[in-house]
Amino acid sequence: MKPVDLTTRLAGLTLKNPVMTASGTYGFGEEYAAFYDPSRLGAITVKGITPLPRRGNPAPRVVETPSGMLNAVGLENPGLDEFLTTYLPRLEKLKTPVIVNISGFSLDDYALMAAALPEDSCIAAVEVNISCPNIKQGGLAFGTDPKSAEAVLSATRKNTKLPLIAKLSPNVTDIVTLAKAVENGGADIISLINTLLGMRIDIKTRKPVLGNIMGGLSGPAVLPVAVRMVYQVYQAVRLPIIGMGGISTWQDAVEFMLAGASAVSVGTANFVNPLAPLEIIDGLAEYCRQNGFTAVREIVGLAHR
Amino acid sequence: MLENRSLGSAIYRLVLKGAVAATARPGQFVHVQVGTATDPLLRRPFSIAGIDRPKGEVTIYYRVTGRGTALLTRVRAGETLSVIGPVGKGFTVPAAGELLLVAGGIGLFPLLALLAAVDRLAVRVKVLWGGENRRFLEDVGRATLFQMGVDYAVATVDGSMGHPGLVTDLLQAALAPETAAGQQAESAPSGGQAGALVKSPEGRTAITVAACGPKGMLQAVAACCGRAGVPVEVSLEERMACGIGACLGCACLVRTAEGTPVRRRVCKDGPVFDGREVVWDETG
Repeated sequence: MKPVDLTTRLAGLTLKNPVMTASGTYGFGEEYAAFYDPSRLGAITVKGITPLPRRGNPAPRVVETPSGMLNAVGLENPGLDEFLTTYLPRLEKLKTPVIVNISGFSLDDYALMAAALPEDSCIAAVEVNISCPNIKQGGLAFGTDPKSAEAVLSATRKNTKLPLIAKLSPNVTDIVTLAKAVENGGADIISLINTLLGMRIDIKTRKPVLGNIMGGLSGPAVLPVAVRMVYQVYQAVRLPIIGMGGISTWQDAVEFMLAGASAVSVGTANFVNPLAPLEIIDGLAEYCRQNGFTAVREIVGLAHR
Repeated sequence: MLENRSLGSAIYRLVLKGAVAATARPGQFVHVQVGTATDPLLRRPFSIAGIDRPKGEVTIYYRVTGRGTALLTRVRAGETLSVIGPVGKGFTVPAAGELLLVAGGIGLFPLLALLAAVDRLAVRVKVLWGGENRRFLEDVGRATLFQMGVDYAVATVDGSMGHPGLVTDLLQAALAPETAAGQQAESAPSGGQAGALVKSPEGRTAITVAACGPKGMLQAVAACCGRAGVPVEVSLEERMACGIGACLGCACLVRTAEGTPVRRRVCKDGPVFDGREVVWDETG
């Protein structure tokens, strides 16, 4: 029996399988190497970087929620220079395509980082984060206004030949408008969704639990929201979609691909089950085999028929 | 899972058999999945209290505080738990001198592993333990300390056992030069002289302190040791998600040798930190 073809094409990018890890849940690629070889993944997305180092928000930064978690890490990262000199050489050794997630507070920030990321390294694509809910300026502000979103993508597009992934926020009324805006701005791929803004209150202390009061909701609880948005965006734009939001099993991944995702990203599930991405790769292949598909890309968007 | 037994005061003792024991060190923890459903979702970190390498067993204790730990109480001997570990950086095990173990409440548990790892022919160990009341200390592990044949002193908030007050009173007394061996611990004199290296009555051994308990207690312990010039390691606790350093959820702030405040991950860079380096109040 011929093995199922798992190769996945995203714009100019070809991956050996459609399963990757979501930014902020996979460190800089090394943390999970104790569990399995990261090169087995289609790609890894590293922790979001900003032009300058950021210390992030005070503790507590995470709190559990029903079938999910809130985080308010606040983009703690070593900054662009340290990323390039210390982390990138280590990422090269993982022998896997790396997606670098970039965040900024101005158009110039995004443009500067896009220009600084080498095009002849393990960096396979740049994920433009216009959807982080945990920083005060920039972040979500770019991701909720279509004009700003388009401008950020245009600014990065001018400065790199690498494929550009626009990571969209679910904290908007109409996701399709945003998707069209980043398509106009020059995005090659759309990833959705980032976290949903939420909060919890400790009933004993009667105070918000998180140090930053509000945080981003992720985990299985957000899955239906993410599937819906992938479904809507697939109908409205031509760009390939990386689906993410609550994926913890292969069944979840199949659902996202049927909705229109060409690839999927595993986030919070890594924390609970470090082997989840590998189980999803195997499960996708098995699903295709049992249902008569010879390639995983055949199932993309089937829910629209 | 070999044993999951209630000790009273909502404390349980859980014995696990598996690969963790082969490499576990005192101060490290295990990250345990408490159920198979998605709610509760995250793993729970529990410090390792006992390591039996020949038998391949580790012992943890936990207090039922929420839905996750409540679920854990239902796991029966013979069932399998998904455990990541051992994780984190543990305590330094001193080879000589005097070791003071300072515990607040269930902070005793990780110190039990350190206590078991120390060569007590070479190191003089004393446990200083504070809790709410006698009932709690009896339930939680006074018998264990007795069985381990360790010198200990206790303090209770309500005065029902040992020194009426805080465990840091006992520490101050133990570190005061005039009561170097801690014999007058209950009288709780003032703190030691700044920078003085405390000697035992024989005048040869240095004291080190290892502490685990509530953050406020650890801060007081670190301050007390700082004044006495005594090295101190503290085991910190923070809400965490991944437990292996990827999510940055359990951040704390420490000061480098140059005085620069930097982020560290309690799960991976800790949970044990040099008490002199921890920035206790980030807003201050």
